[in-house]
Amino acid sequence: MKTPELINFLKEVPVSGREASVLEKVYAFVVRDFRTWWTYKLWVSIDILGTLMFVVSYYFVSKIVTTTSLEAAGYGTDYLTFAVIGVAFQQYVFSSVSTLSESIRGEQWDGTMETILSSKTNFRVFLLGESVFRFIMGSYFLVTALLVGEAIGVKITTNLGSILSAAIMTMLLITSHMIVGILSAALILKVKEGDPIVWSFSWLTQLFSGVLYPLNLLPSQISWIGAIFPLTYSLDGIRRCLTVEATIFSPIVAEDIVKLAIFIVVSLPIALKAFKAAYDSTRSDGSLGQY
Amino acid sequence: MSVSSILGLFREEAPRLKSTFRQIYAVVWANLMIFFSYKYSVITDLLSMAASIFMYYFMGLQVDPTQLSSRGYGQSYIAFALVGVATSQYLWICLSRLSHVIQHDIRGGTLETVAVTQIKMGVYFIGQTIRGYLISLISLFGTFAVGLFALGVTLQINVYTIATTVTTFLLMIVANQAIGFMTAGIVMVYKRGDPVTFILAGLNEFLSGVLYPLELLQQFPIVYWMARIFPYTYALDAMRKSLIGGATILSPDVYFDLTMLIIFSVVLLPIGLKVLQRGYNVIRKNGTMATY
Repeated sequence: MKTPELINFLKEVPVSGREASVLEKVYAFVVRDFRTWWTYKLWVSIDILGTLMFVVSYYFVSKIVTTTSLEAAGYGTDYLTFAVIGVAFQQYVFSSVSTLSESIRGEQWDGTMETILSSKTNFRVFLLGESVFRFIMGSYFLVTALLVGEAIGVKITTNLGSILSAAIMTMLLITSHMIVGILSAALILKVKEGDPIVWSFSWLTQLFSGVLYPLNLLPSQISWIGAIFPLTYSLDGIRRCLTVEATIFSPIVAEDIVKLAIFIVVSLPIALKAFKAAYDSTRSDGSLGQY
Repeated sequence: MSVSSILGLFREEAPRLKSTFRQIYAVVWANLMIFFSYKYSVITDLLSMAASIFMYYFMGLQVDPTQLSSRGYGQSYIAFALVGVATSQYLWICLSRLSHVIQHDIRGGTLETVAVTQIKMGVYFIGQTIRGYLISLISLFGTFAVGLFALGVTLQINVYTIATTVTTFLLMIVANQAIGFMTAGIVMVYKRGDPVTFILAGLNEFLSGVLYPLELLQQFPIVYWMARIFPYTYALDAMRKSLIGGATILSPDVYFDLTMLIIFSVVLLPIGLKVLQRGYNVIRKNGTMATY
């Protein structure tokens, strides 16, 4: 057999038809992750039970707190509503961000990451695909938490303008935290174990973003730390919309939106560059599939 | 080459550890070395613990002190939360340790390897459990240190209250470890996650009054009754009464709590061990020790 014939013999047979679009690929990721999640039906029920318990816990906490500092901060007089919104949204972004880096670790551990990225799926689509299902699930639990809250006394406004404003704030919250998730995934690709970004979002946001208490309780020397985290602005805006009927035209909420937009515009290119650098570096040193 | 020379060549250089105690020590030591090799994780764990205590401190600034003092828990919410959060975190990290390590070993394919060595699986499980309790002490003491020295929390610390707290703490571990053994046995067979630990950890935090006085549950009699079937409820009550209220082992409330913990230990521990053993036997028999 001659060399050109041999090469021709081993040549890849072109796949007929067009290449799947980005949307189709992301959809495929979502379907894959949903099917995996759905196989563990017990966990689905447990997750719902967990959500129920944490919301009810704050019902009891609300029975022993005073609302003076809440009123002073302009969040109304209902601690249960304040706490449930805070914890639900904090958990929402934390679980979405952390599961992204966990799924990267999982793909590395199972040896499937190298396989996916050797296919025609590039790393941007890979990241988007890995993120979307996590945010869908996060949204599902967020809505469950708010519904359970509503059932036990959380008072959320029915004003349409305020609800739409809260939805806009939530979109900004998701976008800003997807960026954080990408940064975290970049770090996981390189260092494999431990992740300061997820850690910061887990604990520092609880401490400094006003999840369980208004920020006017923090001493002025440390209260500025909350300004680093997009969750601080998002929570502030969402709470004002859902509890005291503010809208995106209210000066404080508008200010929160501007700050979130600046965060997104500045950090998105940085996060994508960081992930690209980590991705190229791990490909170059052959550690993409290592864990 | 003679047969005895060949055997000599392949013979192990180091003799196997025969003593159970030395085997447990070896498992604990090996895992401590692994833990401390992840310095970054150790540091972030400690910082998380400090952050959580500061968070409860600021949260406590909103709490009405009379809501606690009227129920015999002093005036300070941070003292109340400190004892609850420190002990509940310690307990649940320890109890989930065994099921986590089994899952990790099954996934990594090392559980089967350990099983074919001369180390008994019981010894391996005990070693891993002890490692969990030892490592978590860092976080437990760290949490109390942050509360006492950084936030100025006042606790009743004297020989009697310490003795009472340590006794309660040990009984709490024994009574609750049964749950840890059960979950490990279930995880071995069902592989995915440890739902029982997750449910129990959540229910425990919710029902045992980690963040609020247990008496608040009385307005829902079924929920209050459910809280009474968890050993941690009694342990937390006794530790709070001792460290915040200065009660000792002879105080009637504490005495009652300790008696309940002893009853839980006697009833639950054999069940827990049985479930663990059964789980192990099932995966050996089915040949699923390395599948996940």
